[in-house]
Amino acid sequence: MSERPLTRLVLEKPCCDADAPGVDEGHARVALVGNPNVGKSTLFNILTGARQRVGNWPGKTVSVARGTWRTPDGEMTLIDLPGTYSLLPDSPDEALTRDLLVDRGMDDRPDVVVLTLDCSNLARNLYLLAQVMETGVPIVVALTMVDIAEGRGIRVDADRFAELIGAPVVPVVPRQNRGLDALRAAVAGALAARRPPGEPDLGEDVETVLADVAALLPADALLRYPERWLATALLTGETVPGVPEEVGARARALGAGLLADDGTDDLGGLDDLDDLEIIVAEQRYAWAHRLIAETVRRKNDVRATVSDRVDRLLTSRWVGLPIFFLVMWGVFILTTKIAAPLQTGLQDLIDGPVTTGAAHALRGMSAPGWLSGLVLNGIIGGVGQLLSFVPLMAIMFVLLSVLEDSGYMARAAFVVDRLMRLIGLPGRAFLPLVVGFGCNVPALAGTRILADRRHRLLTGLLIPFVSCSARLTVYVLVAGVFFGSNAGTVVFAMYVLSIVLVVGMGLLLRGTLFRGMSYEPLVLDLPPYRLPTLRVIGTQTWQKLWAFLRTASGLIVATVTVVWLFASIPAGGGHGGFGRTPIEHSLFGSTARAVAPAFAPAGFGDWHPSAALITGFVAKEAVVSTVAQTYSMSEPSDNHRAGSLGPAMRQTFERTSHGHPIPAVLAFMVFLLAYTPCMTTVAAQRAELGGRMTLFGIGMQLVVAWLLAVAVFQIGALFL
Amino acid sequence: MTLRGCAVGSRLEVCRVTGGRRHRRRLIELGFVRGAVLSVIGRGTMGGLVLALGDSRIAVDSFTAETLLVKPAHV
Repeated sequence: MSERPLTRLVLEKPCCDADAPGVDEGHARVALVGNPNVGKSTLFNILTGARQRVGNWPGKTVSVARGTWRTPDGEMTLIDLPGTYSLLPDSPDEALTRDLLVDRGMDDRPDVVVLTLDCSNLARNLYLLAQVMETGVPIVVALTMVDIAEGRGIRVDADRFAELIGAPVVPVVPRQNRGLDALRAAVAGALAARRPPGEPDLGEDVETVLADVAALLPADALLRYPERWLATALLTGETVPGVPEEVGARARALGAGLLADDGTDDLGGLDDLDDLEIIVAEQRYAWAHRLIAETVRRKNDVRATVSDRVDRLLTSRWVGLPIFFLVMWGVFILTTKIAAPLQTGLQDLIDGPVTTGAAHALRGMSAPGWLSGLVLNGIIGGVGQLLSFVPLMAIMFVLLSVLEDSGYMARAAFVVDRLMRLIGLPGRAFLPLVVGFGCNVPALAGTRILADRRHRLLTGLLIPFVSCSARLTVYVLVAGVFFGSNAGTVVFAMYVLSIVLVVGMGLLLRGTLFRGMSYEPLVLDLPPYRLPTLRVIGTQTWQKLWAFLRTASGLIVATVTVVWLFASIPAGGGHGGFGRTPIEHSLFGSTARAVAPAFAPAGFGDWHPSAALITGFVAKEAVVSTVAQTYSMSEPSDNHRAGSLGPAMRQTFERTSHGHPIPAVLAFMVFLLAYTPCMTTVAAQRAELGGRMTLFGIGMQLVVAWLLAVAVFQIGALFL
Repeated sequence: MTLRGCAVGSRLEVCRVTGGRRHRRRLIELGFVRGAVLSVIGRGTMGGLVLALGDSRIAVDSFTAETLLVKPAHV
C-alpha cells in the first residue's frame, strides 16, 4: 500500500472556482486557518500591524478579525478565522470556517487560505490540513513554532512537504520577522495561479467508495460545493444544506462495505454506520503519519520534559487548587493595589489642575455659563473618568495575556473543572468568568469557547454577577467614605459576594430553566509552557485597551453630558433658567426622585443614590462622577467637592435609613453589584445570547439586586 | 479496559473511543484514533488525567477517561 501516491495532484484543473468572481480591485482575500494556539493570531498581528478591526462576521455571531496586509504588490485583506481542530462544525466558529471554505453561496469567500501548522505538533495539524485540502481551495502552508520544534530536535523538510501536498510550504517565525517575505511571495504566487492543492489519499478502500459516492451527487449540489469534500461529508454522515437526505443515506449505504471489512476484535470492532466517520478520520491520520515519515527528521525522541514536570505539579491533586487560588489572588491584588493609586492620581490631576486650568481659560474667553458647564462637567469630567480607568484595564489585560500566553490558563481550566461542574458548567467556562472580573464585555465574547449553546447561555447570564473592575471604583469611593480603615475588608467582601452570587444563581438556573443540560466532558489541549514575549503582550494589551477606549469613550462622555443636560433643565416648579436651577429641581433630579421610593425598603430611598444608580445602568464608570455632580451642584458656591462629598453622603444615608446608615450603604453596594453592569454589557449580551435572553437577564438581575438589597438592609438594621 | 484508573507512567494503545458522537469526534480530532499510543503523565483532582499523545499534552476528566478503551502498548 505504500506504493500509492500520498496525494493526487490536480494539475489539469486551472482553478477550483473558475466561475467565481475574480479578485476585486487588487483586494484579494486571504484567510488564516489553523488549530488554536499555533501562533496564528501572532502571525496575523505582525502582518497587519495596527491596520485591523475586530467585528462580527455579517449575519453571524462569530467575531472575526480582519486587517490589511500591505505588500509591494498591493494590499490584501487578511481574515483571521477562529482556531479549529477540524472542519466538522461543532460550534458557530467552526461552522463559519467550514462554510467559507466549501459553500460557494457564501459572500466574501477567501481567494487563498494560509494554513498555519505547528511544526512541534505536526500530526494533529496535518489532520486539519487533510480536510482543508479536500475542499480544493488554493492554500499556502505557513509552518509555525519552527524554533520550538528545532529545540526538540525536530526538522521539517519544507520543500519535500510542498512537493507532496501540491502547495507551497513556508517556515515562519513571525516574532523575529523570519520567513515573512517568502510567505508574501508564496501567497502572491497562489493568488496568480489559483490552483487547488492535491487530494490526500485515504487508502484504496475509502477512495473506491468515495468514487462511487461522487457518482451519486446531484448536479446542483456540485455547483455549490466542491465534489471531493461533498462526497466525504456525506459518507461520514454530515447533513449538508441543499442536499437531499436520501442522497446522504445512499452514500452511507455505499460505505457499509468498509465496516464489514473491519477487524473482528470486540474492542476495536466498528459496525455502526456512524463509525464511518471514524474510519475516514483514521485514514486521514494514516495519511498524516505517512507525510511525517517522508518529511520530518527527529534527532532524538526526548520530549520537552521540563514542561511535563511543571505540569505534574501545577495540575496535581493536592497542589493544583492552592496554586490556582494563589494565582487568582495575585491577579486580584495586582489590579487593586497597583492600579488604585494610579487611578486616584490621574483623577486628582484631572479634577485639580486640568479642571482649574480649563475653568480659568473659559473665564478668560468670557464663555457663557452653559458652555463652561458643558466643558467642565460634561466633557472634562467624562474624559477624566475614562482616562483614570486606563491603568486598571491595562494591568488586567496584561495579566490575562500573560496567563493565556504562558499556557497556565488551560491548566487552570483543568484544575477547576470539578468546581465548575457544581453549577453545571464545564471547566472552560471558568475562563470567561475570570475575565469578567476585569470587564464583563470581553468575558461575554469569551463564552464562545463553549461548544454547547446552553452552556453559553448560562455562562452569559452569570457573567454580569461577576464584579468587574468598573464596579470596583464605586466600592472604593463608597467604602472609603463610610468604612474608613475597614474599607479594604468591605471591598473584598463584595468580591466574595459576587462569587457566591455566581454559584447561587448558577445552581438556581440549573435547577429551573437549564434543567437537564447536557454534560460536556472535559477534553483540553495543554499547550507547552512558554515565556510570554513583551511584544505579543504589548500588542494584545494595546489592542484590547484601544477597543475598550473606543467603545467606552463615546458612551461615557455622552452619559455624563446627558446627565449634566438633564441636571440643567428645570422641571416642574423649578426656579431659575437653564443651567441655573439647583439639580434637585432639574429634570434629572425629578426623575431620580420618582424612582427613589422603590429603594425605601432598602434604606436608601433618596434621589442622590437613585441618580447614581440610573447613570450606573449606562456605565459604572460614570457613577462616581454622578455622585459628585449631584452633591456639588446642589451646593453652588462650593468648589471643593472632594472635601464635602463624604459628610454630604453620610448625611443622606443617615436620614434615609432612619439611623442605620451602615446597613443602608451595604444594601446600596449590594444592589450596585448585582444589577445591570452597563449598556455595553447589555449590547454584548444581545450579540451573544439574543434579545430575549438579554431582557430576561436584565429583569433577573434587577429582581435579584432589589431582593438582596432589601434583605441586607432589613436584616442589617436589626443589628447595626 | 478503560483509561480510568490507569496508573501514572503507563503506556497504552487506543482501541476505541465510545460515547456520544460529538464527544467521539472531539477526541478523534485530537488524535485518539485506533492504534495511537499514549502515556499517562499526571493525575489531577477527582480522576482527571494528563495524557501525552504524540507531541500533544491533553487533560481529560474521569468521564472522558472512561470512554477511552485501551490496552497496554507493546513497545
